[in-house]
Order: sequence, then C-alpha cells, then structure tokens
Amino acid sequence: MKKDTGKYLPLIPVFAVYLVLFLMGKNMSGMWQLMAMLLFYCALGQAFNIFLGMTGYVDFGYVAFMGVGTYGMALSIVHLAHYEVLGAWVIVIGFIMAILFSTILSLAVGAVALRLRGAYFAIATIGVNEGFRFLIEGARIWNGSEGLIFMGELNQILGREAASVLATFWADVMVLVIAALAAAVTLVYMRSKIGYALTALREDEDAAKVMGINVTKFKIVAFVTSASFAGLVGASTWALKTPYVFPPEVFEIHYTIEAIIIVLLGGAGTLLGPVAGGLIYGLSKYYLSIFLPGFQLLIFAPIIICIIVLFPEGVVGMLKKRLRDTALGRYIV
Amino acid sequence: MALLKLEEVTKRFGGLVAVNAVSLEIDAGEFVGIVGPNGSGKTTLFNVISGVFFPEEGRVFFEDKDVTRLPPFKRAPLGIGRTFQIPRPFASASVRENVAVGAMFGVLGPEVNVNESLKIADQIIERVGLQEHRDKQAGTLTPVEKKLMEIARALAMKPKLLLMDEAMAGMHPSDIDGMVAFIKNLARDEGIAVVAMVEHIMRAVVGMAEKVIVLDQGSKIVDAPTKQALEDPKVIEVYLGHPPEE
Ligand SMILES: Nc1ncnc2c1ncn2[C@@H]1O[C@H](COP(=O)(O)OP(=O)(O)O)[C@@H](O)[C@H]1O
Ligand SMILES: [Mg+2]
Repeated sequence: MKKDTGKYLPLIPVFAVYLVLFLMGKNMSGMWQLMAMLLFYCALGQAFNIFLGMTGYVDFGYVAFMGVGTYGMALSIVHLAHYEVLGAWVIVIGFIMAILFSTILSLAVGAVALRLRGAYFAIATIGVNEGFRFLIEGARIWNGSEGLIFMGELNQILGREAASVLATFWADVMVLVIAALAAAVTLVYMRSKIGYALTALREDEDAAKVMGINVTKFKIVAFVTSASFAGLVGASTWALKTPYVFPPEVFEIHYTIEAIIIVLLGGAGTLLGPVAGGLIYGLSKYYLSIFLPGFQLLIFAPIIICIIVLFPEGVVGMLKKRLRDTALGRYIV
Repeated sequence: MALLKLEEVTKRFGGLVAVNAVSLEIDAGEFVGIVGPNGSGKTTLFNVISGVFFPEEGRVFFEDKDVTRLPPFKRAPLGIGRTFQIPRPFASASVRENVAVGAMFGVLGPEVNVNESLKIADQIIERVGLQEHRDKQAGTLTPVEKKLMEIARALAMKPKLLLMDEAMAGMHPSDIDGMVAFIKNLARDEGIAVVAMVEHIMRAVVGMAEKVIVLDQGSKIVDAPTKQALEDPKVIEVYLGHPPEE
C-alpha cells in the first residue's frame, strides 16, 4: 500500500501551480482577473487532454460540451430559481445538469463518430459544434438565438451581494477545483488499465485491438470524461461568471482551437502539460494584447509554430524525457 | 477437438483472392510452420484468424466456438495471440508497459490488476532476455529487440494459440537457432500451440515444426508432417531456387 502513494506524487507540481495562481490572485491587487484567466486555460487544457492527449484523437467540436454545460447551469437557474427551498442547491443541481448534458451529447457523438479512425473522426466532429448551434437557434430550443439571461434569478437565489461574489470570485475558484479534479482523474486513468489501453490505442489501434483492447469502449470513456469536465468548465466560467448565454458565444470554435494549442504546447497526454500549456498560452495572449493590441495573432502564430517545431512532444513531453531516469522524473508524468 | 479449425476460408481484396478456400486444423500444443513465398497469403491468413479481417466465405472455429465474425478484441481473451510481421510496439510506452498490456487484456485480463500485470511482465521480459531494456521506450529498441518484445507481449496474454508472423525475419542466423530453441521450449512448457510463419528460412522450420502447411497463391498446397512436407515435389517447385537447406 505504501508503494501506491508514490503513484500520485506527480499531482504535487500540478496542485502547487494552481495554489500559487490562487494565492497570487487573492493577495496581489489587480491580479485576480489574470490568474482567473490562466486557471481557465489550464482547466480547459486539463479537460481536453483526457481525450486529445490520451487518445490522440482530435475533436473539433469540443467546445460544444462547454456550451451544453453552460446551458445545463443556465436552465437550472432559470427554471429552479422560484423554488425557494432549494436555495444555493440550485447551483449544485446546475453542475449536475452540466455533467448530464455534456455526457449525453458526448455519448451520442462518440457512439457514432468514435467508430471512425483519426482523421475521419476529426472531420466528422467539425460539424457537431456548428450543427448543435444551428439546432438551438433554428428549432428555438432553450429560447433559441435570444439566449438566456438570468442575472435576476441569480440575485433572487443568492441575494445581490452573494451573486456578485459568486461571479467575481467563487466561479473562478470552481474552475480551479475543476482543473485539479481533472488532473486527479487524468492520473488515476494513467495508473489504471484505462490509461494503458488508451496509450496502446493511441500508438497503434490495430495492435491494441488484437491484444484484446476494446478500443471503442476506451475511447468513449476518455471522450465522456473529457466532455463532462468541459461541461463543468462551461457551467462555472460562462454561466456563473457572466449570467447569460447566447448560442454564438458558447458554441465558438475559437475555444476548441485554444484548447488544442494548449494541449499540444504543454505536451499531449502528459499530466503537467496542460498546466504548462495553459500558462504559456494565457500569459502570451495577455501580454500581447497589452503591448501589441491588434497584432496578437500575427505574433502568436509564429511563436506557437516555433514551440511546436522545437518541442514536438510539448514542453512537458520534452522535460519528461530529459528527466526520465532522475529523481525529479517521478514528479513529471 | 482441434484448437483452431478453418473451414474453406476465403479472403479477397477486390479481385485478388489472398486466401483461397483454405481449411486447416491446429491442435492444442502443436507446433506448426506455415511457409510460402512472398504474397502467398500467410499474413492475410493470420489476419483472418486474429480477426483483423473477416473472411468473405468459410468459417473459423476456436475451441469449437465459431469466431468467424468475432471482433479481434474478443478473440484475444479467448487465447489467440499474435505478433506482427513488422513489429508494432506502443512506441512511447516502456517495454515493461508494452508487455503488461498483454497481461491486462489477454486471457488473464479479468483476473489481474495493473500491479500484477507489471509483475507478470517482469517475469516474461526476463524470460525473453530483455531485462536490460525493461524501462526503455519501446520505440527506441533495435528491430530484433522489438521482435522479442512483441513475443513477450503476446506471451503475457497467456495465449493458447500463438501466431508468429515472420518471427525470425531479419535475424542473424546464430540468433535464429537460439530463437527456435526458445520458442520450442516455451511452447512445450506453456502448452501453447504455435503457428510460426516463415518466408525463406527453411532451417527454422525444419528445426521446430512438427507439421508444415504450405501456401501458394492463397491456396493450401501441402499440409503434412515436416519431413514429408519438405520432400513433396510441389513444395520443391514452389521453392525453386530456395531448396531446403540442412
Ligand atoms: N490489406 C490489403 N489490401 C489489399 N491487398 C492486400 C492486403 N493485404 C494483403 N494483400 C494482398 O494479398 C496477397 C497476400 O498477401 P500476404 O497475406 O501479405 O502474403 P504473405 O504474408 O504470404 O507475404 C498479396 O497479393 C497482397 O498484395
Ligand atoms: Mg507476410
């Protein structure tokens, strides 16, 4: 049993970074916004890494899970606000609905698309996000393109003051908790048969099958897990921070691209990678927007290309290789 | 009861008949060599047995169970293991992790956890002589080491039938003798039926197989005890230019 505790050492550097971000944001004036943004990108990377990193499959519709998660929270607040007995439990129910929505959507998408191989899967998912957005707008589901606005309901549930603290502070703390949870789940997977199966299928799907691995099942496990965390990120960072939701804002492919960049920058399939990727991406984006507003993308694209060319396995992927046989290696996976 | 039984199995690729109405039986613990020139359908036959492809015609039975349309991942736990002609390691994982995957999802799969699988892997790695490379990334091994690792990976599945595609291709003749002895001992100790496919290395076949099946252009032309098979005029014809060496 004693040996087993060593298996979870690699969480230490991940949690340490999250703690430092939290403390810097809390104690240094004017820093909270930046820290919250960095935590958001880390969480996004950590969630997406469970699928993209561990399976090697690229899902271009990933943001749709954040979108439906946002709706899960928003609909709970809108429909349950007037049940006074529920009180703040509405928020808890909202998170459960976020998981439920993203799980259902990912099961539906996964059951069909995950039978396809690599590139075909990627192409199939391009349509998912746009399709879902048009469905909501066209069929006027969940108030269609007018979206949902629930500032009033939130105030009603929590009181004006608490609602504002929720938006400016607790919502970000929840993002931190989600990122930490996603990291913990990643490591549990890595250390279990699931992780071995995912590594095998990522490296060689046919060989994995012949060795007894039900590749579709394990891909779905990774997909649904990753999607649930995306749903939770959406619910806290989009629904609770900004109490409204409009389809074009949450089904915005731009976030999928950001998530892919973060995972690749940091090191796909590594535990610490999304943290490194989230920090590098978030900080560059922030400072470029201050010093070179308008030129972000022009500068950003070459930087990202350089990093990916220099470190094809990502920053942490490279570190991991270098530290393989050293004492530090136990902490970097 | 035969361990493996093929009934009139045919596999086509478009107009090409890669495996043509092949019937055969392999008994538990038997050591069979499959020979045939390049393109004669050996690999395709293995693919049909391990479930990579389903045949257009005919049926495949494993321990009397019809597995013709069973997906490959359901065959492995029944006891069908294989190696690939060109090794297919899980490159980023260590040798130890590669081999442990075999234990985790093979015949033992339901009974063993990750730690037990890693222990099984260690034993087998030792057995094939890769202990020095245990923690290396599988992608960094030499071709021969990769071949050994694939064998280890397949053995960790505790198969009843082990299909070895070109097990000795690319090996130095001195290594081949060692390998032949190794596989032979192993098959005997573990009671595994081994179907080893060899292209030109007759020496290996003579050394280890009890029975030889000869394929030519997708059809089985000979299926007989080794000595008899190698004296068959049809075999000599197929192998013109490659007569059996002593
Ligand atoms: N996946 C495939 N698609 C199309 N043709 C194939 C495929 N696999 C094998 N073949 C063809 O089937 C025939 C038998 O090939 P193979 O089974 O690889 O022979 P061997 O292993 O005896 O060299 C060859 O003509 C080969 O080109
Ligand atoms: Mg072949």
